[in-house]
Amino acid sequence: MTTRPAVQHWFAPPAPEVRQIELRLPVAVRVTGWNHQLGRAAGPAVLRIALEMPPPRVVAVAIRQPPVSVRSFRFPEPVEDAFSSHASDPSGPDRGYTPAATDPLRGCPDCPPTTADCPLPTDPPTRSAGTPGCADCPPTRIRPPQDVVKLADRLHYLLQPPLETLLADGRLPMPLRPFPFQLEGIAFLYPRQAAILADEMGLGKTMQAITAIRLLLRRGEIRSVLLVCPKPLVTNWQREFQQWAPEIPVLAIEGEQAKRAWQWRLPDVPVRVANYELVVRDREVLEAPPEGAGSQRVRFDLVVLDESQRIKNRAGTTSAVLRGVARRRSWALTGTPVENSAEDLVGIFEFLSPGFLSPDLTPRKMGRTVSDYVLRRTKDQVLREIPPLLFRDADLELAPQQREAYRLAEEEGVIRLSGLGAAATIRHVFELVLRLKQICNFDPASGASSKLERLEADLEETATSGRKAIVFSQWVATIRRLAAALRRFGPLEYHGQVAHGRRDGVLRRFREDPAAQVLLMTYGAGGVGLNLQFAHYVFLFDRWWNPAVEDQAINRAHRIGASGPVTVSRLLVLDTIEERIDRILQEKRALFQTIFSGARGPRRLGLTEQELFGLFHLRPQRAAEPRAA
Amino acid sequence: MEAGNAKSNPALGFLTVLDHPQHGLFGGYLLLNLAGRPLEFHCTAPIRPNRAQQILYGPTLEAFLYGEQIGATLIAQAKTEALVVCTDREPVLAVRQLVEMPVALLLAGEGPSGLVTFAVGRNRLAVPQRADGDRQRIIERLAETAESLDLAEPFTRIREAIEEAQQGVR
Repeated sequence: MTTRPAVQHWFAPPAPEVRQIELRLPVAVRVTGWNHQLGRAAGPAVLRIALEMPPPRVVAVAIRQPPVSVRSFRFPEPVEDAFSSHASDPSGPDRGYTPAATDPLRGCPDCPPTTADCPLPTDPPTRSAGTPGCADCPPTRIRPPQDVVKLADRLHYLLQPPLETLLADGRLPMPLRPFPFQLEGIAFLYPRQAAILADEMGLGKTMQAITAIRLLLRRGEIRSVLLVCPKPLVTNWQREFQQWAPEIPVLAIEGEQAKRAWQWRLPDVPVRVANYELVVRDREVLEAPPEGAGSQRVRFDLVVLDESQRIKNRAGTTSAVLRGVARRRSWALTGTPVENSAEDLVGIFEFLSPGFLSPDLTPRKMGRTVSDYVLRRTKDQVLREIPPLLFRDADLELAPQQREAYRLAEEEGVIRLSGLGAAATIRHVFELVLRLKQICNFDPASGASSKLERLEADLEETATSGRKAIVFSQWVATIRRLAAALRRFGPLEYHGQVAHGRRDGVLRRFREDPAAQVLLMTYGAGGVGLNLQFAHYVFLFDRWWNPAVEDQAINRAHRIGASGPVTVSRLLVLDTIEERIDRILQEKRALFQTIFSGARGPRRLGLTEQELFGLFHLRPQRAAEPRAA
Repeated sequence: MEAGNAKSNPALGFLTVLDHPQHGLFGGYLLLNLAGRPLEFHCTAPIRPNRAQQILYGPTLEAFLYGEQIGATLIAQAKTEALVVCTDREPVLAVRQLVEMPVALLLAGEGPSGLVTFAVGRNRLAVPQRADGDRQRIIERLAETAESLDLAEPFTRIREAIEEAQQGVR
């Protein structure tokens, strides 16, 4: 442990020195000159600041309301009372307006909005007017045709209510509910001055035409209609009018000349029905000029030609007379607007709209040109549920006796034609063709027939099933032979040698008599206008020149109301003239398809003189090549 | 237009406006008799609001264009006075302030708010609340035809007619 040493101070501190310091500071006055200023009196100074501004610049935005330009169209007050059986019924005013969902004229249950897919019942008798329909089918509108140019006229059609509305009017009772495609057909005809309704046979062209006529008459747009049809169909048209438009008086032109002349001139007859032959016979009445101040030429608001292929020949008298009938509207009804060549269509258009169609057009161009004037539907397109049409062609061999007769006839015929040289005509060829076809039916000496054998076998089958059959042939003689051979089937005959007065009775018996299992018809007498949809089998015992005529025959059975599949047997003898003709028929079908489907195809497929001679490997030795069939 | 006219020639009016993306607004007014037949048709040339109208009319622009400019002009052109005017465009209802006859909106679905809705037959209609009295008038005037009326169908005709008229102009 260290010990701190003791410290000693070695000097004493001095005493503090005191000094006095003067704190008074000297004051000096400086002369600034301000004192003078301070002596002046104080006064306010005013500063002026200009607050005025120029007026603001205003931009005026005009809210202009220019007058709205309006186009106005007024339509004549509808005339709705003509020919209405309920016109004076106070309980039946114009209340139809637009049909309710349960309207019987609307489409069908659960159908998609296309006509083709609209599965309506296929049997008209079961389609009662009271059957509820659905509201899903699009309404059928009347559209103005392309040749209506004036806007007011186009709007007049466009603003009409749907066809379902017009027909739902309680004053237009419909016995059956039309199919949607039929409503479209009515809407097609209604506004047209010139039209061809070319539906396939069996789709109800008659009903569509009658209903369109009915609506036009009711609207007062037409007042006098002439309906021209083949003679056997006059009663059929009267019956159809009675069914579809019972309120419209229909006058059938008939009787002696004086009576007919009186009938033609009767006023206030809404519908006249006449056959082609009578119209030609009465041409002087129809073409007569006014007979003085008080009389007027016979004229019609509408002329309808049924089976209008009758006027396909422009040079024919029938065509000339009908073209001369005074009228405002012209309609043509036909399932076969082109039977042989495109010129058939030109012939019909010469009646509808003279000069509109040139025969020089290609089929494709012709199809485009007429598209707004022609409405063509097939069963395949519009009736999904119509029973099918089944073809069961029978390709047969000639019986030995027939073979020998055929060989001899052909050889002799060809030798004769060759021998005629330049003098050979179509007529000579036709004679040979007909002779050979007859041998294909029956051997002239023995009566042997492979076709008859086949037909008998088939009829055994159809008769066993209780089904009815129609047999078509070109010749009455063939019909007679068949009738004798088929007696056990209770055959009935319907041909040109059966009196007109008996024909309805024949058809009635075929329909009602279970023992009458076969109807034997010629193409000419039974090909058009008849409703035989209760038959299930059609036999074409021999072939016609023209596929359209065959189709017409087939469609007597295969049409709306067919209760089941229709089986068609085309009896064809191989290695004969029939087989060669069959090839030509197929080519003619191709022509039809070309015009009405727009498909590209050969220009001329009609049976020319050259082709006729070609059936026998011959060539015509004249320069001209007229169309033969 | 005289009241007697409507009595002697009862008609229904159908008024609509089409908004065309290129040309603008087209108005169409169709007068039908009670059987649905056309009596008169009036249609406007296309109109298109300018920028100032769009800004200054704001949310009232449609009612002005549809109701006052188009609707009132079209109805004024008609010779026949309608028992009822039907429209399928709500802004057209604004025309009611300018005309005497009742104007009803045909409803396709739920009606917009501020309207009085009711049924005539199978049609659902609406009138503005301020015109509630029209409801009874409409029901009375359409009573005879209520069951069969489809008030939507004529608008299809108007649209097609306007299209046809415009094609004719072009």
